[in-house]
Amino acid sequence: MAEIKQEPLSKSKLEYLRTQRTKEMRQQMVSFGMMIFLTFVAFGMVAMDLDSRFVIPIVLFMAVVQVILQFYYFMHMKDKGHEFAKLFIMTGMYFGIAFVVTFLYITWIGSPI
Amino acid sequence: MATTAKKKGFGSVIWEYMTTVDHKKIAILYLIAGGFFFVLGGIEAMLIRIQLAVPNNDFLSGGLFNEVITMHGTTMIFLAAMPLLFAFMNATVPLQIGARDVAFPFLNSLGVWLFILGGIFINLSWFLGGAPDAGWTSYASLSIDSPGHGIDFYAVGLQITGAGTLISGINFVTTIINMRAPGMTYMRMPLMTWTTLVASVLIVFAFPPLTIGLFLLIFDRMFGSSFFLVETGGNTIIWEHLFWIFGHPEVYILILPAFGIFSEVFSTFSRKRLFGYSAMVFSTVLIGFFGFMVWAHHMFTVGLGPTANAIFALATMAIAVPTGVKIFNWILTIWGGSIEFTTPMLYGLAFIPTFVMGGVTGVMQGAAPADYQYHDSYFIVAHFHYVIVGGVVFGLLAGLHYYWPLMFSTMLSEKLGKITFVLFVAGFHITFLIQHFLGLWGMPRRVFTYLDGQGYNTANMISTIGAVMMAIAVVVLVINIIITVAKNKQVGRDPWGDGRSLEWSLPLPVPYYNFAQIPLVRGMDAFWIEKEANDGKMMPAESLDDFHMPNNSILPFIMSLGLFIAGFGALYFASGKEWAISAVSDMPQHPWALWLLIIGLAITAGAMITRSLKDDLGYYVTKEEVLRDLEEEERGAK
Repeated sequence: MAEIKQEPLSKSKLEYLRTQRTKEMRQQMVSFGMMIFLTFVAFGMVAMDLDSRFVIPIVLFMAVVQVILQFYYFMHMKDKGHEFAKLFIMTGMYFGIAFVVTFLYITWIGSPI
Repeated sequence: MATTAKKKGFGSVIWEYMTTVDHKKIAILYLIAGGFFFVLGGIEAMLIRIQLAVPNNDFLSGGLFNEVITMHGTTMIFLAAMPLLFAFMNATVPLQIGARDVAFPFLNSLGVWLFILGGIFINLSWFLGGAPDAGWTSYASLSIDSPGHGIDFYAVGLQITGAGTLISGINFVTTIINMRAPGMTYMRMPLMTWTTLVASVLIVFAFPPLTIGLFLLIFDRMFGSSFFLVETGGNTIIWEHLFWIFGHPEVYILILPAFGIFSEVFSTFSRKRLFGYSAMVFSTVLIGFFGFMVWAHHMFTVGLGPTANAIFALATMAIAVPTGVKIFNWILTIWGGSIEFTTPMLYGLAFIPTFVMGGVTGVMQGAAPADYQYHDSYFIVAHFHYVIVGGVVFGLLAGLHYYWPLMFSTMLSEKLGKITFVLFVAGFHITFLIQHFLGLWGMPRRVFTYLDGQGYNTANMISTIGAVMMAIAVVVLVINIIITVAKNKQVGRDPWGDGRSLEWSLPLPVPYYNFAQIPLVRGMDAFWIEKEANDGKMMPAESLDDFHMPNNSILPFIMSLGLFIAGFGALYFASGKEWAISAVSDMPQHPWALWLLIIGLAITAGAMITRSLKDDLGYYVTKEEVLRDLEEEERGAK
């Protein structure tokens, strides 16, 4: 079977790719560190037996931050050429939230509105 | 096709189609399988109409009638309309955007085989103890209680075909976003491509809720969970929501590609560019978006409360606006055009008033208080047949005649086509117009018979006569197809003479690699521009060179077959088990069911592992071969 035809990388291109990837790696490590840190904070707050009315919103907020970090740094949403993926994720989230909200209101928490 | 069939043996043609990853052959597979299921669904429709022709009829028993209406709806929506649309999407979209194949040819093949085997799976229920009988919506309160395995066939079969549809949807989104030829910007894409893109996006967003709903149903019926069992804390309304969150976008998934076909047909046979192209694109996207916000209008009478009903009623009526934009644009496309009354154009012209009628009754039902009167009556039946037959099926028939030369490089007979058209359109209106009145007079839907002296007799008889006319129309169409295939009179490039978009710039039959050189697109209606500027020769965007094509593979068939076998395992697993729901706990035990489930999943997993581990890098079509083809075509042209 035929092999995929490939062109060898030029030296400057290789250099460029290498610096790009180093940068990317650094960003990923930083955001990974932050995510671990946020997780520790969340666990810590629960372990410290703080008031749940205080803990729940903060944990939820940190969860949102984590999701954003995840999407942007690990799932490449910050990169160029991901506009369509971004659009799809946003639309999907919009639909998803709309469905959940309706379910909450008219199916799960009691009376019809 | 027939010439290659002569050269090759019958077996090798079958093997070629089973392993093919070529979008044109997959289109033919979709067309054959979808056509088969269309005829099957049509036979079921005839059974329904025969049963209802006279009062107190006992042609079908009540139980059998329930099975027939369920299978009619399920077959027509999932196994006929969608695959037939996929047939035309596959046949046209890669050609319209100037691509050599879809983005994931392997997945394309997987999609078609999942659909075919899933469809066969559902229909095997007729021979294995009874078909599903809870309506095509299969509301959980009915389906959980339905004795026997009918509903299991529905749930597992739809799960298998649904996976295929989801795969194909992802495939088309990726293809259209990534594989357009140079110069083919988004705002130069033909409407068929645009509607395919939006319908595919809808598939990607709408099928997961169905998948989840079906999984919950499968788990309730086959593995002893209780998502919908009210007595153990479940909630049957959740099924209704999940079903309609999928089900409403589903009707737009059906109608949008039909809109696309009509847009092409109108501009081709009016010899004008589509009026208000950007408004058409925008309204397509808007319909797609609104389609997700209106599902609860199927559930007005469930008791969601007046505020919820009002919100969904308002959203529903909003959809009439972009749809109206489309209708006016089509009319203005025809207006002042040099019109040619070919068969596809006739379907188009019949479609506009028919669909408007369906739309108007839709807005009537969108008014929530009024819907309490229409709900579950024949008015609803009339409405959705006006939009689905008057929109989708007319679109499919127009597309069949219009794209037939592109798919088979022969022309369907115009004379027989027009006979089909007259019989079908007249029969359709005779069948369904009267059903509006039946509904308003109070006849409920989904009843297997009615009493004499209620004033329904004449109307039902008229309706049945119309249905017979539609059946005759389909028979004429089949005869037309058989005659055309038997004659096999080949046609050349641009057989309609007025082709506008890229697909008509190709020689017929289309070479398996589509484009010898990827064309340069210089504007909307790319082929029309070159006809006026460049003697109908597309400008190439690349020099003639070797190019890469994917290999055929049998793995998609094996993967689908594995799921098909596993489906039977899942189906019989709960039979006679103590923990099972009462609908199946009295059935005989099947100790082999678990093994069947494991073996089936193992076959699928094995095929997937093979696919992952064995590199399949495809092959190169050489420059020499392409040159030879081009020369041959040149000689043929002279």
